[in-house]
Amino acid sequence: MRIGSPKETYAADEGLFRTRTQWAWFGILLLSLVLFPFLSNLYWLYLVCLISIHVISATGLNILTGYTGQVSLGQAAFMGVGAYTVAWLDNHAATPFVLNLLAAGGVTTVVGMVAGLPSLRVKGLYLAIATIAASFILHFVFLNWESVTGGARGMNIAPPQAFGHELANADTFYWLVMPVTVVMVLLAANLFRTRVGRAFIAIRDRDISASVLGISLPVYKLMSFAIASFYAGIAGGFYAYFFGAINPESFPLLMSIFYLAAVIVGGLGTILGSILGAVFMTLTPELLRYGVDVMEPFVDDASALLSPVRTMVFGLLIVGFLLFEPHGLAEIWRRVRRFFHLWPFRN
Amino acid sequence: MSMKIRTSRLLFGVASGLALGGLVSGTALAQDQETTVGAGAGEEDAIVIGGSIPMTGVFAFAGLAFNEGMRDFVSWVNEEHGGVNGRKFRYVGQDTGYDVDESVGVFQRITSREDVDFYFGDSTAFSQTINSELNRRDILMTGASFASELNNPEEYPLQFLLGPDYTEQVGILLDYIADEQPGARVAFVHSDTEFGRDPIAASQERAEELGLEVVETLVTPPGASDISGATLSLRRARPDYTIFHGYVLAPIPDFIERSRQMGMETKFMGTYYSMDQTIIDEMGEAADGFMGVMPYRYYYDQEAPDTEILGAIHDMHDEYKPTMYIQAWLAGVLLREIAQETLDAGKELTGSNMRETLDSMENIDTGGIIGVPVTYRGSSIPVGRIYRADMDEGRMVPVSDWIELE
Repeated sequence: MRIGSPKETYAADEGLFRTRTQWAWFGILLLSLVLFPFLSNLYWLYLVCLISIHVISATGLNILTGYTGQVSLGQAAFMGVGAYTVAWLDNHAATPFVLNLLAAGGVTTVVGMVAGLPSLRVKGLYLAIATIAASFILHFVFLNWESVTGGARGMNIAPPQAFGHELANADTFYWLVMPVTVVMVLLAANLFRTRVGRAFIAIRDRDISASVLGISLPVYKLMSFAIASFYAGIAGGFYAYFFGAINPESFPLLMSIFYLAAVIVGGLGTILGSILGAVFMTLTPELLRYGVDVMEPFVDDASALLSPVRTMVFGLLIVGFLLFEPHGLAEIWRRVRRFFHLWPFRN
Repeated sequence: MSMKIRTSRLLFGVASGLALGGLVSGTALAQDQETTVGAGAGEEDAIVIGGSIPMTGVFAFAGLAFNEGMRDFVSWVNEEHGGVNGRKFRYVGQDTGYDVDESVGVFQRITSREDVDFYFGDSTAFSQTINSELNRRDILMTGASFASELNNPEEYPLQFLLGPDYTEQVGILLDYIADEQPGARVAFVHSDTEFGRDPIAASQERAEELGLEVVETLVTPPGASDISGATLSLRRARPDYTIFHGYVLAPIPDFIERSRQMGMETKFMGTYYSMDQTIIDEMGEAADGFMGVMPYRYYYDQEAPDTEILGAIHDMHDEYKPTMYIQAWLAGVLLREIAQETLDAGKELTGSNMRETLDSMENIDTGGIIGVPVTYRGSSIPVGRIYRADMDEGRMVPVSDWIELE
């Protein structure tokens, strides 16, 4: 139990990790991430790699939607831009993967800023529709700019090479995607200790007040779009490398809704929320498979009969979270932490 | 915080906790009880067929039929034949929702628990994505996709198709047309998807080679509802034959009805996935005269004497079974033949060994599923037959013999 955490400097007050306990837990988390591949099979590694990609993208969307208040349904299409950038560079330039991924982030940043231009005039649902429009336009480009995107057929991407090894499978790919995810999440968390991050929050809370305080709305809104798109671009680049093949149908509108749902279920405006949301949205349908397995001895052909139920339970869980935990999974986490702060002396 | 909110939160927490926690704790229990049929999990030498099967989502109509077909095949081959050389078959299939992420997840899930010999995939995108993993693990795969791209033993050495690829399907239609009405005017209507675009460019060339005139090529969104503009273009083009590709149902019935209302006399044709009896039934009256290519016999096609497999299916089911169900049986029958020959040659059931066997096999007997003995060319079987919907009989009737592309 700890009874207080006095802060003696402003820097300490702003720190991401304010107590030794937090540092210790963070260390344990990193250690378990390092140990995980040695203790797990390819199936779980695959899921964790997929979750990492989702975490990066959801974190980006949370910066834009959760922190800056700009609703976007274009995240999947932005990921598509990143994925196609990687695919094109891989097929035509044969540049190293680090460069390709950075280029994916860069190109997507520019595209995202252009797609974010309507945010200067409209907000809320109107902006959501504008971003849907952007994603349809991008989808059209993926489909019809055949010389670059390969058209409906799409493109194949060779696995990334590092130190002479192909990072083709989840067990090796993990070592690429996980560190980057950790770094990108930490960067996002740090963003909100700076003027830029606070400006985002001010815009979300009341854009007129923010503007009165001297925050340039156009600059910061576009900056938010740029950062969110950069994250989407990197996630898209990883997606392309991870799956090795992409086509225009790889990035449907439904995927954007998936990210928005992840951010809402996880907790809007919290970094932890993006992580928990992405984990929840990816893992729950998979865990529900075990439910199907458990029923197998009792129900003939359980997989065919219960798979629709699995989808419905997943839907109900999301509705349940919206009803009973409107602040998302991150809030549950906070409650649990608060409980243990003074445990066992108070409950 | 009011008591009421706290209680409901608590209830929800407990409920979702039970839902998830209960399922997760069931893991240990379920570890060796996969979604299986056939030989028990304990049987070490079982021949395992894994499957990423779309039992929910847009492709569920086919996925459920694949699943049932594969289950029935495995029960049949184990009971009637005792498997292959005493080794029984086991089928492990899981739902993918027709989503590539999930399909790959299911592949990893099944292969991490089972020593899979053979895999059934659910989409072209999955086939492309999983290709390197198949090569690495040396697993042979077939599946739902007839994409022309997959018909390439160099790029996709461990994958083969269960019939003619889409280009070959249209090729069979074109052969039939050239035979029936030399110099006919042909139009293509296809969806704006990877599936829809697949055979079009090659088929346009092929039509020209056969002396047919391609008078129009129309692209619509899949499942398009507004096709008035497209039907007008079609009327202007006055084709003798209109070939649809890349749709399952919509907008084919609408297209046919409007064209009839406009007094057009074009004959409408489709490819495999728009040719099942259930689809034809859903089209209703519009379907009358609708033609298309079908690589397999229908459930009710028992005219031939050598239809062992169709007989077995009839013994199991009194009611109609879709063509996708038959497709899964074909996968099973081919696998049985491949496994038999590979084992007889004293080789192990690795993907590359089985591929070698497949390439060396000639005139494979499919137990009557396909009307002629088949030989793989590349990775496909370029054989099919033209059927026409006869609404008086309420079924598809063959209007050509089996056509084999050269």
